[in-house]
Amino acid sequence: MSPLQTTWHHIRRSPFQSLIATTAMFLSFFFISTFIIINSGLSTVLKYFETKPEITLFLKDGLDTATVENLQKDLSSYQGIKEITFISKEKALTIYKEQNKNNPLLTEMVTASILPASFEITVSEPEVLEKIYQNYSTKTNVIDEIIYQKDIITSLLNWTNATRQVGFAIILIIASISFLTMITIIGMKITNRKDEIKISRLLGASSFYVKKPFLLEGIIYGLFGSIFGFLFSFLLALIFQKSINSFFQPITFIDLNVNFYLILLFAEIITGTLLGFIASWIGAKRYIKF
Amino acid sequence: MKIVFDQVDKKFGIVYALKDISFEIDQGEFVFLIGNSGAGKSTLLKLILNQLKPTSGKILLGDIDLSNGNKDDVNNTRRKIGVVFQDYQLISDKTIEENIALILDIVNYPKEKIQSRIDKVIKEVNLGTRRFLFPSQLAGGELQRASLARALAIEPEVILADEPTGNLDPENSWNLVKLLKDINKENNTTIIMTTHNNEIVESMGKRVIKINDGEIVKDYNISKKS
Repeated sequence: MSPLQTTWHHIRRSPFQSLIATTAMFLSFFFISTFIIINSGLSTVLKYFETKPEITLFLKDGLDTATVENLQKDLSSYQGIKEITFISKEKALTIYKEQNKNNPLLTEMVTASILPASFEITVSEPEVLEKIYQNYSTKTNVIDEIIYQKDIITSLLNWTNATRQVGFAIILIIASISFLTMITIIGMKITNRKDEIKISRLLGASSFYVKKPFLLEGIIYGLFGSIFGFLFSFLLALIFQKSINSFFQPITFIDLNVNFYLILLFAEIITGTLLGFIASWIGAKRYIKF
Repeated sequence: MKIVFDQVDKKFGIVYALKDISFEIDQGEFVFLIGNSGAGKSTLLKLILNQLKPTSGKILLGDIDLSNGNKDDVNNTRRKIGVVFQDYQLISDKTIEENIALILDIVNYPKEKIQSRIDKVIKEVNLGTRRFLFPSQLAGGELQRASLARALAIEPEVILADEPTGNLDPENSWNLVKLLKDINKENNTTIIMTTHNNEIVESMGKRVIKINDGEIVKDYNISKKS
C-alpha cells in the first residue's frame, strides 16, 4: 500500500474528522480570498479618488475670459501647486456623457449650459489645499462651489485601513483556529491508529515512514481546503459582481481579471499546502512518541 | 546473524526483570526460552527487538551493538527479524494480505515481487482462503498462522516467537511448531521461541535456555525423543 493509499484509507476510516479538518481550512481560505477581493476593490476605490483632482473650484456662470484667466493666474501663484486644469462647460458635458454613457436618460436632458465650468487642482504640498479653500470660499461672486477631495480621501483611507486591520485580525484568528484544529485532528487520528503505528515501528518502520501518511493527510486537507475556499469566494464574486459594481459606479469594485485570480488561486494552494503540512508535522511530532 | 547477550541487566524501577544475562545464539539455531510466567522471557525478546533498552550490559545483533545503536541501526535490525507475537499484533482494519504487504513495504521489498511473495507465504501457512479476511474474522489458530506469515514474508534472519502456541489447541500448536522447524531447517533461520509447553520442548530436541526470576538457570541441549 503506497503512502497515498494509506492516507486515503485513513481519511475513509474517519470521514467526519477529515471533513472538519477540510472545512476548517476551507473557512480560512474563504475568508482570505474574500478579504483579498474586497481589499483589491477598496484599493481601486482609493486609487480612483487619489487620481481625481484634490480640490475643484466650480465657477459662477457668465464669467468673462479675463476673469477666468485672472483666477487661473492667481491660483498659479500659490506654492505647491502641481497642476491646474480648466474644465470648460463643453468639456464638462463630454466628461458627464462619458461617465453616464450607459444611462442615455441622464445624458439626453443635459446641455453644456447647465453644467458649470471649473478649475481642477492637484497639489504637491497638501497644506496649500486648505489655503485655497479658505481664500476662495469667500469669493462667492466668482466661485459657485468648492469640492475639497482631501476630506473624502482621508476618511476613505481611514475606512480602508480599518477594514484591512479588522479583516487581517479576523483572518489571523480563523487561520489560527484552523491550524490548531488541524493539529488536534491529526493528533486524534494518530491516537486512533496508535496500535498500527506501534506495530509498524516494531516491524522496522522508520519514524518518517509512519508519519508520512499523516503529513500527506495534512497536505490534502490544506490543498482541498484552499481550492474550495477560493472557488466559493470566486463564485460569490461572480454572482454579486454586477450589483456591487453598479453600487460603486463608476468604479469597478470587482474586476474579474484572470491573472489576478490565477495568482490568488496559486498563492492560496501553496499557502494551504504549506499550512496543512506544518500543522500535520507538528501534530505528528507531538503525538507520535513511539 | 549472531545474537550475543553480555552481562545484560534490565531493571524496572528497583526490580530486576533480567539479571546478568549472558549467552550467544548462532545463525540457524533453534532455541527455546522456558520459564514460569514473569520469569523474564518476553523481556528478553523485547530486548532483542530493541523494544526495551538494557539497563546495563551489551546486546550484539550481528555487528550492531543495540545498547548503543542509533535509530537507523535499530530499524535496520528490526527489518531482519520476523516476530510472532502471542497476541498476534495484526492491524485490525487491514486484511491478512494487507498486513503482510505492509511489512514488505516497510522492508522496501521490490514492488513487483510483493504479490508473489504474499502468495508464497500465504500458501506456506495454509491461509489461502482467509487472505482477504480481517483479523476479527479469523480463529485463533488462523491468526497465529497469519502472524507467522507476516514474519516469514521478509525472509528474516531471525524469528522471535513469543509463546506462539499459548492460545492454540494441541493440534494447531504442533502444526505451528512443525512449520517453524521446517523454516529453521530449510532457510537456516534462527528461531527463538518462548513457551510453557514442555511436551513440545522435549520432543523437538533443541537448545533450551531456562530462565527463573530474571536469571538464566540452565542452558542445555536435549536429545530428540524418538
